[in-house]
Amino acid sequence: MRAGVAALAAVALLASGCATSGSGDPIVVGSVNALSGAATFPEASQAARAVFDAANAQGGVNGRKIEYKVVDDKGDPAAAAAAAREIVGGDNAVALVGSSSLIECEINAKYYEQQQVLSVQGIGVDPACFASPNIAPVNVGPFHDMTLTLLYGSEVLHLQDICALLEIAGNTLPAYQAAIDEWSRITGKKLRYVDATVPYGGSDYTSYIVKARAAGCKAITVNPVEPDSVGQLKAAQAQGWTDLTWLLLTSVYSENYAKAVSEAGAGVYVPAEFYPFTDSVSQQTKAWRDLMTSKHIPLTSFSQGGYLAATYFLDVLRGIKGEITRESVTAALRGMKPISDPMVGTPYAFGTGKAHHDNTAGWPVKLASGTNKWEPAASDWLRIPKN
Amino acid sequence: MLQGALAGLAAGGLYAVLAVCLTLMSRLVRVVNFAQAATGMVGSYLAVWLVVHTGLPEWAATLGGILLGAGLSAGLGWIVCTWLAETDTGTRSAVTAAVLLLLISLSFILFGNKPQPFRPVLAGPAFQVGGVVVSQVTVATVGLAVLVALACRLLLGRTAVGVRLRALSERPTTAELLGIPAKPLSIAVWAGTGLVATLAISVVAPSQSNDPTSLAMLVVPASAAALLGGFRRLDLAVGGGLVLGVVEGAVAQSDHLSLVRYFLPLLFIVALLLWSQRKEVWDAAR
Repeated sequence: MRAGVAALAAVALLASGCATSGSGDPIVVGSVNALSGAATFPEASQAARAVFDAANAQGGVNGRKIEYKVVDDKGDPAAAAAAAREIVGGDNAVALVGSSSLIECEINAKYYEQQQVLSVQGIGVDPACFASPNIAPVNVGPFHDMTLTLLYGSEVLHLQDICALLEIAGNTLPAYQAAIDEWSRITGKKLRYVDATVPYGGSDYTSYIVKARAAGCKAITVNPVEPDSVGQLKAAQAQGWTDLTWLLLTSVYSENYAKAVSEAGAGVYVPAEFYPFTDSVSQQTKAWRDLMTSKHIPLTSFSQGGYLAATYFLDVLRGIKGEITRESVTAALRGMKPISDPMVGTPYAFGTGKAHHDNTAGWPVKLASGTNKWEPAASDWLRIPKN
Repeated sequence: MLQGALAGLAAGGLYAVLAVCLTLMSRLVRVVNFAQAATGMVGSYLAVWLVVHTGLPEWAATLGGILLGAGLSAGLGWIVCTWLAETDTGTRSAVTAAVLLLLISLSFILFGNKPQPFRPVLAGPAFQVGGVVVSQVTVATVGLAVLVALACRLLLGRTAVGVRLRALSERPTTAELLGIPAKPLSIAVWAGTGLVATLAISVVAPSQSNDPTSLAMLVVPASAAALLGGFRRLDLAVGGGLVLGVVEGAVAQSDHLSLVRYFLPLLFIVALLLWSQRKEVWDAAR
């Protein structure tokens, strides 16, 4: 009878998902990523996996291996919701680490709150990544990045007549407007002109470029994906507009983009969200570069984000005294002390805030015409002033 | 507004070239070829691949890409002529819609979704009209559209091959019974339109957004332009393409109308279909 009651209690515990893993069981960590579809970001989770594999090869954490589950959201809201439920509900992951997706935060933020699970996002893109108590991206994000690129243009390059061409997907306009307002608050300057009607995935941007030129713009900030930006630069080139400066975001900071751009006007400037990976001799990126190279993972900002997310997470995990469960991991992340890394300008702490938008430093890089190569454009981090 | 209208002329020229190809395909081989722009896209991507992976010079790779685009189109034509020779236009066109999706997916698999290092065939401004810049690409695409339409008109009206093609188009069975080689001629039409479409896209792709989807979906505005000529008249197809490009460019200058810009081809198609059906009574039009 007593044995029967104990068995029933065990079944009930298992069914309610409250079971704690035995000391030898792997620690399950999840990740939701855009691995297929028109825009894919596979490197973040590949990099996180490389970090976890390296840790497992050295015996894991307190003798337990890390089992890293990577699920594809296919750029599809239904698949993103299902992916989160598979990881959090099905696999009972202790946390999500190194996720990188265009839609994941928007779709799953509330679910993570309900399930009291935290996500150390590798690359946060949509506004919900920076507005949830349960998601804390390691990257700067496109909104602070826009403030930074404007700061660099107006305060370092001393450009006048800056205009913005915004590609608005979903509900991102208020977040970009807030980023521009932040720049105005800091500098007391205004944009000459804002066009928020520029489409994603347009085939020909000539009309928007002609309109901006007629408005008297000398520099343009855009929040583009790579193909769109290539199209915009080519449209300006076709118009003979060669003295235009482009203030862009980390979304275009890649070697592929540099190879695709031959004419960059007066230069393309980007505040890289992590220390510039194209600086191949830098000590700041050496540990990351060595690991990525050994695992044949592309050297991109995305793999920097995934690497950092996993590195921070491992650091926190190793500091947990006692059983490693979702509850103990959540408590440890909430109470963690800030961790510094040479690849970022802002130390990382998950913390207890209602939103996490704390990384405010970028490292400016430049792509000049005819070089097909990114070069560092600064010797220190560019930061958004606090007040 | 004039600036915007002229800015749209480059896109209009491309729509016009593709519309001419679509019209020829519809008239001569009874297919609305939804994969028309996609075959051109694959040809231009193959040209870039040849430069990067085989070290061919730009001009040779571009030429190779154009020939491969023509070959791809000819291969598709061979399939349609072999297995769908007796089917109606709807069925043959549906096959090309499937090919469109196949080619977009295939290009993502083969070439990835990162920007490709397209090198411009033509770049920079050609001349200015009252302070408004007209690019070299605009001159090339508009010129190509007019040239192709005129050449096709001459070919169909003044040459023996043209007469045979028209015979095949008007009375396919009778033409075949008279000994006109239907299959080779049809495949030649597929190859010819594939060649022209790839040429146009090879000129334009390096000067605009060139991801596979946006290039392949150029078939939508091109279809709108071809519809203006009822998929029969080449002059109206050219005019339709140019007008559509100019209107798109002009509309983008207005903050209020800018969002409408990318719906314009669809609005154009709906309006033309409604107009063409205006005299139909309900039962006949169903």
